[in-house]
This record gives sequence, structure tokens and C-alpha cells, in this order.
Amino acid sequence: MRFVSFRSATTILATTALLLIATAPSHAQSRAETLRYVTGASVNTLDPNIPGATRESFGLSMSTYDRLVSFGRKQLNGKWVFDLDTINGELAESYDVSPDGLKITFRLRKDAKFQDGSPVTADDVKWSLDRCVTAPILGKAQLLTGSLTSADQFKVIDPLTIEVTLPKPDKLALPNLATVYPMIINSKMAKEHATADDPWAMAWLKEHTAGSGAYVVESFKPGEQVTLKRNEAWNRGSPNRPAFFKRIIVQSVPEPATRANLVERGDADIVLDLQASDVQSLEAKGKLKVVSTPQYNAITYVSMNNQIPPFDNVNVRRAIAFALPYEDMFKAALFGRGMPLYGASWPDGKPLNGIYPFQQPVKLDLDKAKEYLKAAGFPEGFSTTFSFNVGWASQAEPMAALIKESLGKIGIKVDIQKLPDAQMSTLINEKKLPFFTEGIVAWLPSTDYFYRNFYTGNQRWNYSSINNPDLAAIAQGARFEPDKAKYEEAGRKLNAMHFDLMPQIMLWQPNQDAVMAATVEGYTYEFHRQVDYRNLSRK
Amino acid sequence: MKTGLGATIIRAGRRLLSSLPALFGVLVFTFLLMRVLPGDPAVFFASGPNAGKEEIEQIRKQMGLNKSVPEQLVFYLSDIGHGNLGRSMMTGQPVLKDLRERLPASLELTFTALLIALIAAVPLGVVAALRPGSIVDHSVRLFCALGVCVPTFVSGLLLIYVFYYLLGLSPDPTGRIDVFTSLPPQHTGFLSIDFLLAGDLEGWWAACKQLILPAVSMALFVIAPLARITRASMLVSLGSDFVRTARSVGLSWRKVVVTYALRNAILPVITIAGIVFSTMLGANVLVEKVFSWPGVASYALDALLSSDYAPVQGFVLLMASLFVLVNLVVDICYGIADPRVSIE
Repeated sequence: MRFVSFRSATTILATTALLLIATAPSHAQSRAETLRYVTGASVNTLDPNIPGATRESFGLSMSTYDRLVSFGRKQLNGKWVFDLDTINGELAESYDVSPDGLKITFRLRKDAKFQDGSPVTADDVKWSLDRCVTAPILGKAQLLTGSLTSADQFKVIDPLTIEVTLPKPDKLALPNLATVYPMIINSKMAKEHATADDPWAMAWLKEHTAGSGAYVVESFKPGEQVTLKRNEAWNRGSPNRPAFFKRIIVQSVPEPATRANLVERGDADIVLDLQASDVQSLEAKGKLKVVSTPQYNAITYVSMNNQIPPFDNVNVRRAIAFALPYEDMFKAALFGRGMPLYGASWPDGKPLNGIYPFQQPVKLDLDKAKEYLKAAGFPEGFSTTFSFNVGWASQAEPMAALIKESLGKIGIKVDIQKLPDAQMSTLINEKKLPFFTEGIVAWLPSTDYFYRNFYTGNQRWNYSSINNPDLAAIAQGARFEPDKAKYEEAGRKLNAMHFDLMPQIMLWQPNQDAVMAATVEGYTYEFHRQVDYRNLSRK
Repeated sequence: MKTGLGATIIRAGRRLLSSLPALFGVLVFTFLLMRVLPGDPAVFFASGPNAGKEEIEQIRKQMGLNKSVPEQLVFYLSDIGHGNLGRSMMTGQPVLKDLRERLPASLELTFTALLIALIAAVPLGVVAALRPGSIVDHSVRLFCALGVCVPTFVSGLLLIYVFYYLLGLSPDPTGRIDVFTSLPPQHTGFLSIDFLLAGDLEGWWAACKQLILPAVSMALFVIAPLARITRASMLVSLGSDFVRTARSVGLSWRKVVVTYALRNAILPVITIAGIVFSTMLGANVLVEKVFSWPGVASYALDALLSSDYAPVQGFVLLMASLFVLVNLVVDICYGIADPRVSIE
């Protein structure tokens, strides 16, 4: 018995061949219009507000939803980075801040439509912002930093105008509205899927998008892949033009070496999270474009718990600060790819400016370290543990070895402790680690924001557990300081205190190395440290 | 004395029943183990730049961790009874859905790898046993040693380097299918079968190409135990009386080696193949990582690192059930290979 006759088989073959030939050019065409972005992480929710959302989900939501406003961009050492000081309208056509700084009025674009074709109205904006400050979601804590705490602060004036009222003239209110969380949701659609238990449709929005963004989610496989299709009606980037790429594929590829192979072979267009060694060799080969931007809103620290002996002694902390082999660590951990925050010289012993983070006048000086250790009452040294998390091992492991070696020279015996990520975050939160390395990121990097969030309070991000009322008071005062000169002065004071108290040691700001095909243009370093697909185009 | 199919089914059923307490034990043990492990998942997942105490509490509540451990266990067991394995924080999906989507990927890879390994190992073992101590025997031994010495992720990366990076013969090692190929309608979850059902030969070939490298790198690792066992048991069987008798009555070489010697020698190979299969399914995490294969093992590892309880518990339960199933299948295969086993 034969299932397929010879003749029909040849016909099928011939047709297939013909089809292949016919579709080949259009396939090539669509490849050029497609951006394939590979990453070691993955998208786990379509709504970045859901607790537990990954950074990759933040990045995705920038393209699937619009916000009222967005950050502009500026050039920093020849590279494009986001600009905190330029706030452009996104769904807002324009905005006014009242002279006393207490009212911000947004006028919406008349042509803005959600992806289902319905117009974006002030009611949608109000519902979305209300959700952000009322529902138990991530946006709540973020908007709090901009004095946005209650639904009463958002008032619909007319279908295209919305007014935001502030209790105090807060500099961070407007920038906060450009961050990931206060995205504008199609409230009619969301309400249809809201339930009595879930009035803000969190469950539904996690798996569906109801936005007006530049890209429409075509398929979403959590942990594996998301494909996006261009929203042809979107024109918030440049007038009358949608985003460049017709299709975006966001794909999780856990193995860094494989990601490097993919982008080098031209199968992937852009990748951000390669190992420093791979970036270096790819850059040396010169076939790809490598955009390295110091992450100027991120810092890597060596932290000491100021409440746990012996690190409660300021001289011990100073001794450590002068006993770290900074240069060797920088080379071993990052291959020198970043911006060092050590080795400054302060001629008059005072900070050069009031900007945080800053370079501290610390360097490897074992004699000085020994003196501090003697002053602290530990001339013979002591024993401690140094912890880091497994996810960071490629950077932190060589660092830890160098620290152990160097501190050994002044009599401090260090045991290296490598912890699973979840355990590390738990121990940091419970303030149980004496000596460790960690990093931080601030979306809205201003001096007072850094000091308020990372140096005050009994909370997780205060790695050093410092509890200094003076420092906290100056930082709080600076928050609402309208006078630029006074703000700068407060910043200088804080920086001087930082060096004096040495609660923790700033090491560097690692580079973000975006490696992309030579044809990809427009890459901008964004506050969320992910790719904003809307920025990119192909030559 | 019962023989034939009926006996096999009864035996299988009894086996299945007797494994239920073990499964329950695994369930409770994993549950407790996860709670004992240091690391609070709520803190880990509350990692937004502003996540504070409130967010951590929120997540704790969402994961049901605000209750006492015995209470949690009761809820967990009743959920399992309703077929609900909980929700993964990592992917934001129900664990059951995640596992259902990922298990076929792992199974397809493991089956293919096992098939490749058996096809390579059994003849190698037989050849080595026919000429013990010869050059052939030694080269088989060397090949096996090499296969075991090289960890799967090294052989995986090497294969990628040669066949993808240098030669460009194989497609990019990113999962089960080229991102530009559209998927067939899902019936079995095995892409190579689904494509055939849909009549899409081009897609089938694309899926097979993706499968070859990871399957080979996994197979390389398990050829050694299979080949060694085949050789050892062939040696015993070739030296036994019945083979001598068969030879002496002048049966053909083929009949002697394949029908009499190999059939008797294959029992331990089946046992080992069953064990190897179960181990591969859980231990192929490195291959899954290197080839971005969306399987259950890499899923469980990620979950374990982030203390995401539900997926780890679901995974262990799945593995335990599969182990029971595989043992059952091995038992049945025994019965076919050697009817004496069915006698009780």
C-alpha cells in the first residue's frame, strides 16, 4: 500500500520549493523589520505593578503602555542616557506647574487612542493613577516618593484635562509620573474584568494588556518569550510615525555564552547582560556595536553593618576603606568597565560638589588602615565573614578573594560566604550580615533621594543600617528645598558626613554594556536599565 | 499461576497502589524541606526599587506564608486534592500550567537522548563483548570514559561552538523551535509529533534540527553506563551453557547473538535505562540551560534559587510520579523480555 503516489509527492515538493523561493525575499524583509532581543532574565507579568514583577517586565511595559509624561534624553560622554531634568509629554500634550508648585495640570492629546481604538480620556488617567496609589501594588511605594499618596489628589477637569494636587511642592512628583508604574490603562476594559475581590483587575492585567503603547502583545509565554507587534496608530515618539520595528521578539536565553554567540552570529540584534569578558572580546573583534554606559543611577557597595560589632566602630570601617584593593577588584570583577567611585583627591579635605554618588578620597593604603585599626582597639585584627549572592558570583567571587587576601595583611581574617539569592535578601532585610557586597539602583537619582532611601530608617535598602539623626534631618530637609544653592550646600554636607562616618564603601558604577548589531541605532540608557524598544531603529 | 496480559495488569495496578504512600511522603517531605530552607521568598520577590515592609507582607499574604506551617500544609494538601499545585511567583502562572507546557519539552528531549544513547550503546556493548580485550573493546571503553568525563554543559557548549558558531550547520541553540517558525496546533506537546500531525514537514525538520544538539550532548553522558552494562551482561550470557549449546548445534551467528544471548542480556540494560531516564529528566538542567530549552528541570532550578515554593513542590511531585510510572513501564518491559518475571 502506498500512502502518497509518486506524482503527487513530486508536485508537493515542487510547490513547496516554489513557495520557498517566492517567500524568501519577504522573509528577509521581515527579519530586517524585526528586532530580536535576547536576555538572561524573563518577563513574568504584563503589568509591572504586580508584586514580584521582574525588571524585564518593567522594560516591556514601557512599550506596551504610555504614561502621562516621559523622560527626555541627553548625551553623556557621547552616549545617550535618560535625562531626569527634561520631562516631555507622552499622553499629555502639555502640562503646567502652578507658580507655588502645588498643582500640575495635564492636557491630554486629542489623537491618543488605546490599542482597541477607544480614545484616552481623563477618566482613564484618573482610574489608572487611583489604582497606582490605592491598590496593593508596587506603584504605591514609588509614588509615595513624589508625595502622591491618595486618590483625592487626582481630579478630572474635563475629558481631556486632569489636575494633580500636591501637599508640598515636591520636585519628584512630576518625574515619578514618568516611571514604570503610573501607566495609563484603558479603564473601561479593565473594569469589565474587575471582580469584587479584585476591584483593580490585577489578575486580568497580569496576563493581558489594555494600554495605548507603541507595541501590542502578540504572544506571551512567561519565562520564555514575548512577541510584540507594532501599534500603527502610535505617534508619541515622533509626530505621525509609529515605532521603527514592526515586530519585537523578547527571548530568554539563560546561558550568557549562548547570548554572546547569538549576537555575534547576527541571529540576535541586541543584548544587555553579557559577561564582561565576552563584551571585551566582542568589542575587540569590532564587528558589533558596543555601547557602554556607566549606570549613573546604580552603585555597587561593600557594606558593613554599623550596628554589629566590630563594624559599629567608625575606625574599623575607615580601616576597611583603606585596605580594599580597589584597582585590582575593579579589573577582576568588571574588567575595568565602569566608573570608579574611589581614588579622588580632595585638596582642602572637602567634597568637590553636592552630587551623590561621588568619588571618595580612599585608596589602598595598608599603613593608614593599620593605624585606624589600632585606634579602634583591634591592633591584632579580628575575624568576620564576607557575603555575596550566587547570582552575582561572576563579579563578586574574584572581588571576595581579593578582599580576603588584602584584609589578611592587616590581620583581619575573612571567611567568604556565598549565599543563594533569596537567602541573601532575607539576611539583608533582617540586618544579620556584618560585611557583604550588594548593589542599588535609584530610578530618580537625586542626592536627597539616595540619602533618604539608602541611608535612613530600619529598612532593607539601608544596607549599612546607619542610624544618624543629623544625616536623616539634612536629607529630609533637602527634599523640599527649592533653592538650588542651598540644595547643593546640603548635598556637600551629606557627602562630607558620608566620608567621615564611612557607613559603607562605594566601589563603582558598573557599565551597562549594550551589544548590538552594527545596523541597530538609537540605543538609549534608560532609568529602568532595560531596552526601550521604541528608541531603536535599523539603518 | 497466571500468565500473560492479565497478570501484568494486576501486577502493575498493585505496584501503583503500593507507591501511593511513598508519593504522599514525598509531598509532605518536600513541603517541609522548602519551609526549612533559609531564605524568605517574599523578601526576594519584593525587589522593586522601593519595595518595603508593606510589599513584603503583601507577597507573603499572596503566597499564603502569613499562616502557620501546619495550616499551610493543610491548605496545600487540600489544594493538591483539587488538582491545584499553586502559583509560581517567578512566571506568575499556575504551576500546573507551567509544568504542562514544559514537561513535553523535557520528555521529548530525554526520550530522544535516551533513544540515541540506546542505539549507540547497545551495539557498542555487544561489539565489545564479542571481542573482549581487543582493540575494539578498548576503544569502546575509551569512548565511554570520554563521554562520562566531559560534563554535559561542556559537551553542549562545545557542540554549539562547532556546529553553530564555526560551521553554521545547526540552528541557533535557543529553545525548541526557531523564533520565526510558527508553531503547529498543540496535540501532544511533542513538537516533532505535532508538526507531523499538522503535516508540516518543514516545521518538523526545523524542530528536529533544534533537538539534535541537546539530545546528543545528553546522550553522550549516558552512553557509558548503558554500554558497560550491555557488555558485562553480554559477556555473562555469551559464556553461559545455552549459548554454548546453541553454538554447538550450529545455529547461525545472528540467531545465537541476537536471539539467545542479547535477549537474555537485555534485562539489566532495561533496568539501567529506566533509572537513566528518570535521572536524565531531573538532571538535564545543565543541558536545558545551555540550549535555553524550556523544560521542567531548569524551571525547578530557577524556582529553587529564588525560594519559589510552589514550583519546586510541583516539580518534585511530578518527578516522583514519573519515577513510579517509569518503574512500572520497566516492570512491564521485563515481562515482555523475560516471561518468567510475570510468575509470582
